[in-house]
Amino acid sequence: MTLCVVQATPTIPQERYHEDLTIRPLTDGKVVTAFTFTTLLGGASPRDPRDAESSAQHYTLFPLTLGQILREYSVTELHLSLNAGKWNYNSWGFPDHPSVGTGAELWAWMADGGPLSVDDRWMGLRNALAGLFCASLGSLDDRRTSSPASAFPLSSVPFPHDSTPYALRHATLPSEHVCTENLTPFLKLLPCKSRAGLARLLDPQRVFDTDWHGLGVHVRSTEAGIELRLGAQAVFDPVRRSRGKRRDWSFQSLFDRQIDVACPVASSSTIHLVVPDIRGYNLSPEPVASNDTVNVYSPTSHVPLDIAMSWPEEHIFKYPLPPPAPQTPLSVKRTLYGSSQTRGVLFVSFSNNDHSPITVGYLETLPALVTLWMHTMKVDVGGIARDDLVSDMIYHPPLLLANGHHGPSTLQTTLTIPGKSTLRLSVDVSKTFLKYTEHPPDAMRGWDLPPAVLFPVLLLLDGERTNASLAGQSIPKRIYTPTLLVDLPTPDFSMPYNVIILSCTLMTLIFGSIFNLLTRKWTIVKMHD
Amino acid sequence: MDANPSHGLKEPQRLPFESPKIRRLVLGSYWTIIIIALPFWWRLTSIERIALPSDHVRTQLNRNLIFPLDVQLDAPSFGNTTSHLSRELDEVLAQTLRASPTWRNLDIRMGISESAGHPSVASNAYTVVLGDHTAVKSPRQLFVNPKDASVQRLAGILSGLLAPEISPIQEQRVIQYSSRYRLAFTLLNENAASDLLVNSWDIEPAIKDHLLPILSKLNVLHNTTVESQVQYHAPLAFEPIEFTDGNTSIHGVTPEDLTVFVNSAEWTLSSSVSNDPVLHFVLFVPSSSRQPLCILDAHGSPTNQNAFLLPQWGGIFILNRDAQDMIMTHLTVADLVPVFSAFSNQLTALLGVPALPRGVPPEVASPLSDWQLDAVLRHRTSENVLNSQQTLDSIVKLVDQIESMPVDQTVRGDVQNALSALEEAYRSAVEPPAVPLRWSSEALSLASHAFFNPGMLAMLYFPAEHKYAVYTPLFASISVPLIVALGREIYAWRRERRTARNG
Repeated sequence: MTLCVVQATPTIPQERYHEDLTIRPLTDGKVVTAFTFTTLLGGASPRDPRDAESSAQHYTLFPLTLGQILREYSVTELHLSLNAGKWNYNSWGFPDHPSVGTGAELWAWMADGGPLSVDDRWMGLRNALAGLFCASLGSLDDRRTSSPASAFPLSSVPFPHDSTPYALRHATLPSEHVCTENLTPFLKLLPCKSRAGLARLLDPQRVFDTDWHGLGVHVRSTEAGIELRLGAQAVFDPVRRSRGKRRDWSFQSLFDRQIDVACPVASSSTIHLVVPDIRGYNLSPEPVASNDTVNVYSPTSHVPLDIAMSWPEEHIFKYPLPPPAPQTPLSVKRTLYGSSQTRGVLFVSFSNNDHSPITVGYLETLPALVTLWMHTMKVDVGGIARDDLVSDMIYHPPLLLANGHHGPSTLQTTLTIPGKSTLRLSVDVSKTFLKYTEHPPDAMRGWDLPPAVLFPVLLLLDGERTNASLAGQSIPKRIYTPTLLVDLPTPDFSMPYNVIILSCTLMTLIFGSIFNLLTRKWTIVKMHD
Repeated sequence: MDANPSHGLKEPQRLPFESPKIRRLVLGSYWTIIIIALPFWWRLTSIERIALPSDHVRTQLNRNLIFPLDVQLDAPSFGNTTSHLSRELDEVLAQTLRASPTWRNLDIRMGISESAGHPSVASNAYTVVLGDHTAVKSPRQLFVNPKDASVQRLAGILSGLLAPEISPIQEQRVIQYSSRYRLAFTLLNENAASDLLVNSWDIEPAIKDHLLPILSKLNVLHNTTVESQVQYHAPLAFEPIEFTDGNTSIHGVTPEDLTVFVNSAEWTLSSSVSNDPVLHFVLFVPSSSRQPLCILDAHGSPTNQNAFLLPQWGGIFILNRDAQDMIMTHLTVADLVPVFSAFSNQLTALLGVPALPRGVPPEVASPLSDWQLDAVLRHRTSENVLNSQQTLDSIVKLVDQIESMPVDQTVRGDVQNALSALEEAYRSAVEPPAVPLRWSSEALSLASHAFFNPGMLAMLYFPAEHKYAVYTPLFASISVPLIVALGREIYAWRRERRTARNG
């Protein structure tokens, strides 16, 4: 029996808390807001999984509830995002926090070794986070877990002293809905909750009324210590609120709140208002600092703060026509078509909006509900087959696991899209016939398929690639495609009882007639005239 | 076998397969198959219920753990009254123990020792030495001054040390035994935006100074992990009473409000990352508009107490700041001395450590004497033994009561292991008190493991009625012709016999 003794050398970790809000009004009247709350646990490093006993934990700004989970399962890097809506890359551009896939996405890097296996810790982590955030993360089991290491690379600083192997676990749950019950525990992780500072603005009624909203928890270990980044993003539509008339907005009109108290424990607190291509507006109050595109505010020096942006000369907002050019170099469309319940075609089109070619990694992780038939894969540009644009293809078919589940299938490849053209990729899929008990409660709705991910790739310039002349640039951040809904054959759920009763009736009929034939007494009845 | 000439048809009764004998054979074979199939059907649809050692469990219930305690009087220091004193003490102590509800399982034997002044560490005996002042010393030694050496005084001190009286209120405060606890310390600011923000505290040295000595003594009972956090916004769920005392305004918490002081909805005190029970210690800093916050007594007048204990949950200390250090945002070790001495008292109360009897000063070197530690160990052991006996009895009763509850090999294994651990606990009662505690704790955890075995719930969601409902369309419609045919045949057979006898 060992007592968990306070560490022999009492190193009080320096904890720092920064909060930041970026607001980007767009030409189509939408307002993109991104909150970032960063807590740095200085001098700390993730727990080595080989340490048997967990030591005492003392936190001031870092949330204890999350810190315990990270230590218990010795997680080096953790990314959790809970989003609702489709991120419209074409008109909203790249998001400030790149994890914008619809539904829940969780990935973690863990050091291997120690008494518990990575998969055991992954299961514990899932369940602990599910309890903490009131989300159905517990169902991200081995049917949805894969480890696509090149799409989600380790961004933490590994243990310096040895070459510990690290393992990635990644899972998505596209049908997860984000709501107030997820925001409340999220706000509880902040030192000032939603009572002071920038988080004061996060009013659930308004945030969950937006066109797109999402929460993110990102933990990684840097050289300075463990960094926790809590992010909340939302895309507001002030035009909709004013019944299609004006695009003016203020904190009061967007969030129904102002920043009335500064968070006293925040080391820094800033608001960036980014206005790259918008003209003719008035700002109140005046920013603390500004240049052509960015205006900076500081709620610590200016309380209460209610930033308002208005277009005094514009009586009715007109939607810009023709629509503005796509804000990202690459636009992706992904569909699943085919009317039958057994087969379909997965069709993805990649449009390069740039003049130079773009090379991206393409990752498709599909649960075993659908199976890709790789021999039917076709890649064409403008109707001409271009197999030379596809390279480094890795395909893992759905594997039967020890517990009888099927793991997900993953398709990962590198695609080069020539400038100003559209690459079309199509693969035939077959849909599985599920067991009666495997269907979810609302089976007729169909099953959500997770979004595909486009990720930046390192381009090799030394001519190793055959089409090196085509390889231009890559994308700066990950791009998530929208989710898909697959329609699987659904049974009539009263069927087992009908079958039992019908077959019982049939059995009885057969039995009854044979039994009657065998035991009936035949006599001749004399008929009298 | 001749055809009937009148209609040209064969008489059906004359056909070989239409004879009553054949018909009865057919019917009989149907029934034979059904009767033969019945035991198979019974076997296939029954659930696994392995017999539990019920008799053994029931006999356990009446067994008591008896701790034999050797108390030695030091013959050289007590002089020639030793044997007389020893005999008298034996009688008085035996009477006291018989009257006590919790300590009937002690068997104190007084003895006389020539070398009690220099006891060996290995021995389990308690020694009493006549000295110049009353004090407890390690290992398991008691010094008494001549004034306390009378039979009545000495018996009082010894029973207070070996069998400390535990009132029901004290008993209710004690948290249920577990081999692991988490101690969660929380510094709660009611409102960080007020002037009285406390940013940080020297928690690690404070724990080291005040709690670590106690925790390392209690190491044989429990493993503990320590965690701490600071919260900046922790509103109260109720409005404290405001009144003025002279020219200062005071806020008061009534005894009823104390029961709802912890605002679990808003205070994130601990996570559920492990299943170990948590003891919470909360240092609450009221906002500047609520200072000073006092605890009121039953009559509504303020008391000078600022700490209180929530039974089986933890302790709370309300920190009211003086006017001069209003701007201080860091609590130093010196600031934390009153807080942590309150916390250490609360911790010992929550873990059920008895106080020393009146007139016996605490040991200087150690916060807990061997006598106190042994008393906790013995109390926890008998509590665990009682709990595991009752848990085992509940399992047996439950299994007897619910017919459709499956009992598999793991449940029986757990029950048997719990029984043998109990057996070990009885056997080791003569050894140092940590040994029976270990066995009793194992017995308790095995018994609870058996009780909460998830396999025992399997049939709760698919009752037998369900099965009958589904298969009634088959069974009912098949059984009707079978029974009717049987009845008809029996009727025909009896009529035949009657006609045969009559004719």
